[in-house]
Amino acid sequence: MSSSGNSNRWLIGIVAVLLVALCGALCIAGAGLYFLMQPGTIGSTPVSSGTTPGGIPTVTAPRAPAAGKNTLRLPGRGSGDPPTLDPALAGDADSAVYVVEIFSGLVTLDKNLKVIPDVAERWEVSGDGKTFTFFLRKEAKFHDGRPVTAQDFKYSIERVTNPALASHTAETYLGDIVGVKEKLTRKAQAVSGVEVVDDYTVKITIDAPKAYFLAKLTFPTAFIVDKNNVERGGRTWTDKPNGTGPFKLKEYARSQRLILTRNENFYREPKPQVDEVQFILGGGSAMTMYENGDLESVYVTISDIERVSDPKSPLNKEMTVSAELSTDFIVFNTRKPPFDDPKVRQAFALAIDRAKVVEVVYRKMSNVAPGILPPGMPGFVEGQAKVAYDPAKAKQLLAESKYAGKMPDITWTTVGAGGSAAQSIQAMTAMIKENLGITVSIQQTDWATFIGQLNDPNRNPFQIFDIAWIADYADPQNFIDILFRTGSTQNWAAYSNPDVDKLLDQAAVEKDTAQRFKLYQQIEQKILEDYPVVPFTVSNQYWLTKSYVKGMVYPPLIIPRLQYISLEK
Amino acid sequence: MGAFLVRRLIWLPILLFFISLITFALGLYGPGDPVQVMMGLHANPETIERLRHEYGFDQPFYVQYLRYIGNALQGNFGYSLVKYRDQPVGKLIADALPATIQLNLLAIGLGVLIGVPLGLLAGLNRDSWLDLLVRAFVIAGISFPIIFLNPVLTFIFSRRHDLILPAANLAVSVGPILPMVQGRWEGLLSAKIILPALIESTGVIAIMTRQMRAGIIEVMNEDFIRTARAKGLRERLVIFRHALRNALIPIATILGLMLGGLVAGSFLVENWFGVPGVGALTFDALSSRDYYVVMAMVLLIAVAYVVSNLIVDLTYGYLDPRIRKQ
Amino acid sequence: MTQTRSPAGIDLPHRARSPQRRVVGRLLRNPPALIGLGVVAAMILCAIFAPQLAPYAYDAQDLSIARQAPSPAHWFGTDDLGRDMLSRIIWGARSAVFVIVMVMIVNLGLGVPLGAAAGYFGGWVETVVMRAADILFAFPGLLFVFFIAATIKPAILTWAREAGWRDLANSGYLDYAVVIIALGVIGWAGLARMVRAQVLAVKEREYVIGAQAIGVPTWKIIARHILPNALAPVIVALSMGLGDIALSEGYLSFLGIGLQPPAPSWGNILSDNAGRYWRMFPQMIWMVWIPGLILAAVVFAFNFLGDGLNEALNPELVD
Repeated sequence: MSSSGNSNRWLIGIVAVLLVALCGALCIAGAGLYFLMQPGTIGSTPVSSGTTPGGIPTVTAPRAPAAGKNTLRLPGRGSGDPPTLDPALAGDADSAVYVVEIFSGLVTLDKNLKVIPDVAERWEVSGDGKTFTFFLRKEAKFHDGRPVTAQDFKYSIERVTNPALASHTAETYLGDIVGVKEKLTRKAQAVSGVEVVDDYTVKITIDAPKAYFLAKLTFPTAFIVDKNNVERGGRTWTDKPNGTGPFKLKEYARSQRLILTRNENFYREPKPQVDEVQFILGGGSAMTMYENGDLESVYVTISDIERVSDPKSPLNKEMTVSAELSTDFIVFNTRKPPFDDPKVRQAFALAIDRAKVVEVVYRKMSNVAPGILPPGMPGFVEGQAKVAYDPAKAKQLLAESKYAGKMPDITWTTVGAGGSAAQSIQAMTAMIKENLGITVSIQQTDWATFIGQLNDPNRNPFQIFDIAWIADYADPQNFIDILFRTGSTQNWAAYSNPDVDKLLDQAAVEKDTAQRFKLYQQIEQKILEDYPVVPFTVSNQYWLTKSYVKGMVYPPLIIPRLQYISLEK
Repeated sequence: MGAFLVRRLIWLPILLFFISLITFALGLYGPGDPVQVMMGLHANPETIERLRHEYGFDQPFYVQYLRYIGNALQGNFGYSLVKYRDQPVGKLIADALPATIQLNLLAIGLGVLIGVPLGLLAGLNRDSWLDLLVRAFVIAGISFPIIFLNPVLTFIFSRRHDLILPAANLAVSVGPILPMVQGRWEGLLSAKIILPALIESTGVIAIMTRQMRAGIIEVMNEDFIRTARAKGLRERLVIFRHALRNALIPIATILGLMLGGLVAGSFLVENWFGVPGVGALTFDALSSRDYYVVMAMVLLIAVAYVVSNLIVDLTYGYLDPRIRKQ
Repeated sequence: MTQTRSPAGIDLPHRARSPQRRVVGRLLRNPPALIGLGVVAAMILCAIFAPQLAPYAYDAQDLSIARQAPSPAHWFGTDDLGRDMLSRIIWGARSAVFVIVMVMIVNLGLGVPLGAAAGYFGGWVETVVMRAADILFAFPGLLFVFFIAATIKPAILTWAREAGWRDLANSGYLDYAVVIIALGVIGWAGLARMVRAQVLAVKEREYVIGAQAIGVPTWKIIARHILPNALAPVIVALSMGLGDIALSEGYLSFLGIGLQPPAPSWGNILSDNAGRYWRMFPQMIWMVWIPGLILAAVVFAFNFLGDGLNEALNPELVD
């Protein structure tokens, strides 16, 4: 700085002023851009204009709409933004939770996870169990008032299965329908298994009688979309979706909030009761907002659980515990030494004191998994898994195994950042070290890397890892068959037992539900005896809900639930 | 002068080419891919193969790269693949940028407002206890890790303390001192921005204070200040009329360089406070292998960096002919 | 980019080396620098004598005493898994010192020779080095580190497993290596720029020109005459940067790509606890505040030391 003289300094001074001016200009431009991008404010029209109870249209303030009296405010689900609001592309819970409120399909699930009629009033199943005829409600309408017809359903299915759309859920949820696989691989122009009989009747043919097919139709993949809406909106048509569900999308400000308003013309009971539902997206502490009265309901995290569980706390009276249809597994890769020896697997299983980990690390927010199936799943029975904590027997089993005295190095791979995910893993590896004298190193990895390697079953490089499986539909087949059948992509343990496979085939075609569930229980028992996995925990969710919220539903699966809720302030 | 400018302008596309090539290669050859993330645990090999083909990920590297560059040159930066499926990347970034820019501007503003007076104070009272205190304060500010500052400051400023410390009941029972961003970003005009901006400004404060302190010490030793003093001007006048002006010039240079950083968001701060900015967007995109979002952000940051450097260099180049020869 | 400024606003005159005694003397008369020196020395001692100093093993777990407040048996309390926090922090010093020293070596090893070569030779050498530095500067740092950690590490792991190098695949060395490579690769550019600027300034001096005239080999001129005279700002920048390295390691661990648990790293300890216990930090003060303050104290110490060195090596400011 010392080299330049005094006059030069003045020049730099001028430049400085210019820079500051540029700063200011950027600021103004940024603010302007910001307001322009705000849905429902300057520059864009709201999806549906709000009206006051008196019927006078409200002018949305440039800030944010104030919460009306009949407004339900909830935290957003999961990590924040829904990846998509397009039913054809929604494969994850974070998206589905909004999609099921805005759109709907032929059938849906009720609060007890039973398949009930939705846009279809009723249906008939043919004698061979392969043909389903659905009769649509004449009163079902899109949000813009246009009646829903069988052609709309046909269009929706053709759209999802259009290979160019690249829907990753189409094959999983619609693959049973005759002609879907052909269309996805460009071998056919249309899905032959979906036929429009008349405006209000549609016939679906599937490739084999499958008990869980109706449950698959409750998924967003099979939801009905409006052709005009999709084609006029282009790739971003879901910014202004015209659905059939109990709520309409009013506003979606990315990473900030997603606001739904009641669909006055919803065709089915119960009709939605709250005027508006605001989901608060983004990070930060939802708990603080709840305590300040800015949210009606909140999910309790581990850092608040002790305070909230205290019976003396006023918050304790507002707490509800709900189950989730998911099980956290510790998986042994049965192709990798030393876990190709069942004795080693069993020794590891017996050396882990799951109850202690749940008590100390999870502070009892999760429970020890009773078996492969989580409680609440149809077909679940208590006392399936006989995985006890028995260090003495574990030691003995290890001594009998073929790796006794020449144990290879073992790495436990876990998805995680920040170390908090690995707390329970650290606890368990310390138990293994103490009880078996084996050092297991931990390797954290990010989700994308993890599944990239996991999804390639022949080259799955992990020896031991933990993974949670969340039910897609409420049927034991979704756990027992998908996770343990020889060759299944989700059979991460590379487990193979011909007896189990034979029984699985038998269960898949069994028509009597009670008998089918009994078969699955028998299979579950057989699998657990081989220890391809240790069922680790089933998670409970703890919710705080204000007392004036009535009819709150805490479903273990994603179902349309907002229509059950009312506010009695 | 003209040659200097031309050289620098030629360098810009070359730099962008290298940076885009590196990013693209890292994304493509790195582990995990967007199709896998999309499918999650429901993958089956045929579907993955089919989708990779639909997206063109099975084509050779140079084909994919050239296609991307071709589209980018026409202003199409692709569509988000995973986190905001089918949303145009340009719009995603344009949506998120204002929040980050506002946050960074306030952080820089706070940094100047706090750092410059502190540095002045320290420099004028060199080696006094005040100097020591200011330097300690500034260094303390940058020494606390953000993962520590985020929770602790949030707790101090926004929490209803009565739930934990009954004694604090009276003091803070009115509610949070500083509201959280949480779900409703209101930008520069809201008190919610203060806390994240304050945390982001710690680094700026340190730079400003240091520069100001060093600058004022240097200037006070210059001949023209001695002359002014010798002429019997009052000390305050000497400082404000002569010394301050000159010591502020390097501050302007640093500000110029910081302009480039305006478009880069801090993931840790944005994520913690729920600021809907590009830092959080970039990080999410990176973790879900949303190539096109990452790519566009990297290019944007690079352009901003080069342009801000260019501005600063041009002013220097204009003022000091020696640099042009280098 | 041109070289009229130096990072962090340090503007050092290009003068011949002062007698070392005077530098040390000035440093010792600077109380903050002394404090910084003390903290750094304590940290290094902890690192060297961790096995002797730590009362427990860093991974000794006792779930029955999880989350206990500080007591005579556990001065800093216990963590979520009943491990002694004091022992983990002492062992953490070893990780920190190791990472800092190694990253410093990588930074110096890349930055000083490249910067010196660029400054001395000019021409295409300068172009290549400085443009590479430009690319690094324009590339978002965290992104780069994340990329390196996320791409290189799994690649090495897979390769090591397939090649039968189990020791490499299953030991903590790889975690250290990834952290060091990641931080080292992005850290050299600033140093190289600074060295180049210093060399540019020094190489026109009479004694260098004289040495060239009498036919002293180039490498000798660089090593004997130019570098020693250009080192002062490098030392200052390095000592200030060391704190940043400690912080960066913490962030890497926070993102799950740093050292793997149960390895004791201050970043791991802090991020483990801060996320879970920030809402109850008055009751669990040892969980968040102790690791947080210790990490802060170390960064603080390095900065003070850097400031002190700056003043000591830069006596201009005194007169």
